[in-house]
Amino acid sequence: MKLPFFRSPDGREGGTPADPTEAPRMGGQVLPGADAPLDRRDETVLPTEPAVSDAQGEVPPTVTAPAVPVGPTKIAARDISVFYGDKQALYDVSLDIPDKTVTSFIGPSGCGKSTFLRCMNRMNDTIQGARVTGQILMDGDDINARSVDPVLLRAQVGMVFQKPNPFPKTIYENVAYGPRIHGLTSSKSEMDGIVEVSLKRAGLWDEVADRLHSAGTGLSGGQQQRLVIARAIAVNPEVILMDEPCSALDPIATAKIEELIDELREQYCIVIVTHSMAQAARVSQRTAFFHLGRLVEHGDTEEIFTNPRERRTLDYITGRFG
Amino acid sequence: MIWFLIPVVAVLAVVAYAAGLALAKRRAAGHPQAHSRPQQHGYYALIWVAAPALAVIILAGIFSGPIAQNLISAGLPDVVQDMEPFRRDAFLNDARLLGEGQRPFQTWTGPLAEALESEAARSAGIQRTLMWGGIAGAALAALLGGLLAFAQIGPTLRARNRVEGWIGGLLFACSVVAILTTVGIVFSLVFDAVRFFDRVSITEFLFGTQWSPQIAIRADQVGSTGAFGAVPLFAGTFLIMLIAMAVAAPVGLFSAIYLSEYAGPITRGVVKPMLEILAGVPTVVYGFFAALTVGPAFREFFNGIGALLVGGPLDGLGQYLMLVQNQMALVAGTVMGIMLIPFVSSLSDDIINAVPQSLRDGSYAMGATKSETVSRVLLPAALPGIAGAMLLAVSRAIGETMIVTMAAGLAANLTLNPLDTVTTVTVQIVTLLTGDQEFDSAKTLAAFGLGLTLFIVTLLLNIVAQRIVQTYREQYD
Repeated sequence: MKLPFFRSPDGREGGTPADPTEAPRMGGQVLPGADAPLDRRDETVLPTEPAVSDAQGEVPPTVTAPAVPVGPTKIAARDISVFYGDKQALYDVSLDIPDKTVTSFIGPSGCGKSTFLRCMNRMNDTIQGARVTGQILMDGDDINARSVDPVLLRAQVGMVFQKPNPFPKTIYENVAYGPRIHGLTSSKSEMDGIVEVSLKRAGLWDEVADRLHSAGTGLSGGQQQRLVIARAIAVNPEVILMDEPCSALDPIATAKIEELIDELREQYCIVIVTHSMAQAARVSQRTAFFHLGRLVEHGDTEEIFTNPRERRTLDYITGRFG
Repeated sequence: MIWFLIPVVAVLAVVAYAAGLALAKRRAAGHPQAHSRPQQHGYYALIWVAAPALAVIILAGIFSGPIAQNLISAGLPDVVQDMEPFRRDAFLNDARLLGEGQRPFQTWTGPLAEALESEAARSAGIQRTLMWGGIAGAALAALLGGLLAFAQIGPTLRARNRVEGWIGGLLFACSVVAILTTVGIVFSLVFDAVRFFDRVSITEFLFGTQWSPQIAIRADQVGSTGAFGAVPLFAGTFLIMLIAMAVAAPVGLFSAIYLSEYAGPITRGVVKPMLEILAGVPTVVYGFFAALTVGPAFREFFNGIGALLVGGPLDGLGQYLMLVQNQMALVAGTVMGIMLIPFVSSLSDDIINAVPQSLRDGSYAMGATKSETVSRVLLPAALPGIAGAMLLAVSRAIGETMIVTMAAGLAANLTLNPLDTVTTVTVQIVTLLTGDQEFDSAKTLAAFGLGLTLFIVTLLLNIVAQRIVQTYREQYD
């Protein structure tokens, strides 16, 4: 039961919570780990003061993301586990992701947040030896079902990566890539329209309108990332997944992308993985905290950052580990 | 010979090492701050004993022959001096043999027999003197070097740095050998090519369309004066290269795409090493295959088609196809293409693998299929590198000799018909430099002209290709 790699940095074991208030919960439901024998609870000496005063002056970032009504559930994940070969990377994650909302995944490196993100457009299929169990329902349909074609799924679920990855083509061709391969249009003028609208929505049009036919790789890092976002929205997706989209960018480019994310929220279901808790606090309405392959806690961002239920969440957002 | 001293020097060097080690230990006693460890002092002594002695031995080995010859020919008696040069050389050779205690090749009569005896004694004396001189020189060098080293050994000697310096020097010398040799080859090529272009003008060589290098070797021989227009050779080389690339480029590239994008780890683990083994097959084996298997098969195939066409509306073509021979450009080109497949495939595989994974992810995440990703993202991204790989393959195809020698024929036809026999630059170099030859006839020297042309063309191709591949690699690092 207790594998050594579940040892959390402060020496407690993730599998057997030492304090009942720390029982891993998921949407109010107690995780299987909490059912484990509790005879070890006395082994760890716990601080008796309230947890916040323990954080030695470190305060979690203030939530500044616009508070908006959360949309209906777009994606419902049930008991998702992911295995890379023999190694399990994700343990029974169940999570509802609402539409027209920014949901952020936070957690230390290797906690499974990117792995979970990649389940939602079945990008794990492209990895040798990866296996996903559980159900992901998008608008009520299981995307892991045999009948679902990952090619069509990925047209509905756009993805933006950590490192800007424009194709070695012109700016125009980068944006037109998706519409072309999905045969969305065959006329030149329609394609021009799609490219223009996508670039405008990505906030890049004014900067590149006069050089649409120069190489996409010649843009700056922040512009490249917005180009990639334009490429993703050119096929009219319903969901946009972002895997640490700003970690390779400077603060100004980051601010632009965050502004863009907030604008896109009105039309899309956005899921963003981020290392920066400040970013999660700035852009997202909902936050899920992952640790060691498990979903520890999720809820409204405001609540996660001001009043976390879990000790580990508090430790992470106040910078005590991760 | 003086070379037998080398093992002796080796033994001396080991002794010097041991002595240096012991000496260093003794002198370092009581000096905790000694700069280098005793072993390094040992190596220092070893180098100083071995290096000067080896230098003397090598110099003696190289120069003792010419010196002995000069000394012997300086004091020859008149009866020997008056002989024709080649008889005198034979006589002196016999004298040397007799001096070394072996039997002379010829019997010399009259005054020459006496002269032989005395010359043999003189030759043996000179050889002995040189030999002992060499030995003494080497011993002296080893002794002086050793004394120098042993005098220096002590706690303050920076033996570690000096030994490192010597090792660096030795490694540098080894790496320079290959470069210097190549430079030497180029110079000899240029030198002889210049002699060739004295006889045949460059314009005639580069633009002439007649190639028949048969120049009369003897004055009374029947033969043409030869024609040295290399255009038919260039055309033949080009044609065969084209056919080879038509085979190797698509097959090699597609197999690389399969290996890097489609194959599972098991298939890849089997196919890739096998392709690499194929790259190590000697080209003469491919030549065999071309001449004995592919050639007859192609001939039968075309003769069969010809037989079908004869008498029909395409009678002329049929007649021609009936007469196709085993040796043709198509056979040589096809087999050369097969030979190049592993080369192209292996290089392209490396290049496609160097395309960042993020581009693949980006394309798959857009909902592209594998083949769309390959054709719309990976190949455009890898294009410069693949172009470089193809140029390298072209340069190999141009320089390839054995397959074309065995399968393309020898007739220098100026044609682009793949069913004709053609000949290439490399084949002509082979034919010009094998068999009877005289090194100042234009026929033989033509090989150097061809070699220089070939060298320049492949050098340029390689430089361009390496440049392209390198800038491509840097782009994605």
